[in-house]
Amino acid sequence: MKKSLIVLLVVLMAFSATVFAQGGTEADKGYDIYVYNSKGENAAQFAEMCAAYEAETGVRVKNFSIGSGQDHMETLRSEMNSRSMPSIFSIQGMKELAEWSQGGFALDLTTVTTGNFGKMAAAIPQGLRLTSNGKTSYGIPYNVEGYGFIVDRDMLAELFGSANVDAVLADIKAATYGEWETLVKAIDAWIAVPKATSVKLNGKTYSLASSKGTLSGKLTGVFAVMGAEKWTYGDHFINVALNAVFANPVEANEADEAKIKSLKGALLAYAQALDLKTSYLAGAKGKAVRGQDFVSSANYGYDQTVQIFADSKAVFFKQGNWAFGNIEGVNKAQSARLEFVPVKMPYQSQDVKRTDGTTVAQLNSSIPVFVPNYYAVNALVPKAEQQKAFDFLYWMNNSETGKKYIVEKFAFIPYNADPATMSVPNSLGNSIIDYIASGNTLTAPYHGAPASWSGDVVGLRVMESYLTKRNWTQADYEAIADYAIKEWIALK
Amino acid sequence: MNFYKKWFWPLVMPSLLLFTMVILYPFIMGVVNSFLAWRGTYYFDPDTGTRATSMFNSFVGFDNYKEAFQDTRFISALVYTIKYTFIAVIFVNIVALALALMVTKITKSSGLYRTVFFLPNMLGGLALGFIWQFVFQIIFTDILFSPDALYLPFLRYMTQDSNKALFALAMLSTWQYAGYMMIIYVAGLNNISSDYYEAASIDGSSYWHSFRKITIPMLMPSFTIVFFMTIANSFKLLDQNVALTDGEFGTRLLAMQILRTVKDTTPPNYGKAQAQAVIFFILVSVITLTQVTITKKKELEM
Repeated sequence: MKKSLIVLLVVLMAFSATVFAQGGTEADKGYDIYVYNSKGENAAQFAEMCAAYEAETGVRVKNFSIGSGQDHMETLRSEMNSRSMPSIFSIQGMKELAEWSQGGFALDLTTVTTGNFGKMAAAIPQGLRLTSNGKTSYGIPYNVEGYGFIVDRDMLAELFGSANVDAVLADIKAATYGEWETLVKAIDAWIAVPKATSVKLNGKTYSLASSKGTLSGKLTGVFAVMGAEKWTYGDHFINVALNAVFANPVEANEADEAKIKSLKGALLAYAQALDLKTSYLAGAKGKAVRGQDFVSSANYGYDQTVQIFADSKAVFFKQGNWAFGNIEGVNKAQSARLEFVPVKMPYQSQDVKRTDGTTVAQLNSSIPVFVPNYYAVNALVPKAEQQKAFDFLYWMNNSETGKKYIVEKFAFIPYNADPATMSVPNSLGNSIIDYIASGNTLTAPYHGAPASWSGDVVGLRVMESYLTKRNWTQADYEAIADYAIKEWIALK
Repeated sequence: MNFYKKWFWPLVMPSLLLFTMVILYPFIMGVVNSFLAWRGTYYFDPDTGTRATSMFNSFVGFDNYKEAFQDTRFISALVYTIKYTFIAVIFVNIVALALALMVTKITKSSGLYRTVFFLPNMLGGLALGFIWQFVFQIIFTDILFSPDALYLPFLRYMTQDSNKALFALAMLSTWQYAGYMMIIYVAGLNNISSDYYEAASIDGSSYWHSFRKITIPMLMPSFTIVFFMTIANSFKLLDQNVALTDGEFGTRLLAMQILRTVKDTTPPNYGKAQAQAVIFFILVSVITLTQVTITKKKELEM
């Protein structure tokens, strides 16, 4: 027995020695750089681009994209635990940065000062950098994305007359919250009984059509809202309000208790704006109301709500340019006519705590535009491999071939695009470029809030307790704001 | 005999190696990691606030365990899991036993019934969860039990209330496991000699009396195994929970709580999640071992 135990131990040790200790010498890994892409939607095009780079330069690129909608963090962690770590990996905003910078994986690009790559990294605008303190910079942006209320120009033409579309759009963008609220209520009344009603927008008077047209005849409500998707009213809608207090994610990340408490006014405005949005709901079969049906994923999930909007059953749909493909899939004609109007909130001037002089009017005429994802270089791979990674990223963002892939194949808005000359092949992307050109953009401070705060904590509470509730009162607004503040402090 | 003596190690080695590699080693590492500030891809050194140079520097003692017990979400998931297990074990066993009694009684096409009842068990938990989400959200809520039809408020919006969801989950698991447990009961029932029933009926025993005095005691070995499996399965339920409710409306079960712990903070606290997993392991072991000891005592020696 003793002898056999010894035999067993020896065999086990020999086995583990071969399994766990192979990395002694630097053998050929079968690639020169390994790129990990966490955007499953462009997997095929990304692989194509890597092949093009390999053909052009002879550098062997191994690329890996996760499946669409898959958890990219779990996969990336296991890749990081393996012997052949990615040389380039992706970080989706500040929340994920904490892990990779603390673990020593992400290379601070401000330390790279030489070569084309160094210049490119230094030229990333401060507002688009991946940083937790404003001094470091950990990634090259994938692209920029933005969101707001999506509106169909032809729908506005039927509501206000085709000659007025551009003027109405410009004045909705500039309108105050009070005017916006009146507009929403007027359209709601018009859907029930169409008659020529005058509405004031940005001080100018417009009149609603006296009868319904082909598109406006299909309307069932003013807003298409994804009641079952916490991130739409948790992460993104609440982010608009955070902009009243924080100029960027770094400020949100560094906020102390007093600063968090000063969010109260902005969060009350958030709750009130959410109340308005979810009080005039479009449903698939008619006007919808808040309640248990509204948070059911079978009725108001992502695809169902896209369908409601693309079927012209709603006037406004709060989503980002990433929804373009989904809308195009349902209604190609409509997808060519889309534009963003800003999400407006009823801030008082004292609710705005920004130190850079931002006003209520500016907040209410801007849309959030931010970088959703970054390419980071792995600090733990050999220097030579890092250099090859730098060259790849430079090529991707500056060569004609690379830029062609980003704009045409990935349908991205490049972070380094010149808004004056840039145009992309989709309506929502161009609408975002217009906002960038006019400087009417907000940031994504919710990335600086504690990890689960906006979606899984506040968003979940809003869904469970409020979107199921027919009528909201001032006390509900207070409760939502207080809960959000209390949880932020608790999670910090 | 000599053959087995001679070939014992060569024959055992493959399984032993596999067991060591995929069960024993990860398990031991898991227990070790529950005492460390493990962050998934590296160890955190609480003294320096950076990546630890060796894993010994990230030793935090019982801190992860303390944190786990102070976490209200962990405690409420634990309570919810116990409630769910209680309901699910009752549901699954009653249905499985009833089905088993039925398929052993009928003479025509009992094979077909056995196959059909067993089928749901072949589906994966996630697929089942999504199928039943459709059943609860559309069929139950909008069609069968809507105010226009058979109005039963309790069976509407079952995934949107933590108490109703307990029953929704129990219905789902009954559908999934009852067929499997039925097979075990059928084997047990087939082992009971018909002589006992014959003797009992000559003595004038009714069906229920025979069931209580003969079937149940003779089935005790099957109860032991079925209880063990249903309790363990219910405690470990994960996929169905994720697919059906995703833990919304206070419906997080323990396994899902452990899975989501790493998403609650950034950087992810794998050490704490691991501590929860160890607590979970001990809990499941203690409960199932107690149950097996109790039911074993009731088994009859023939």
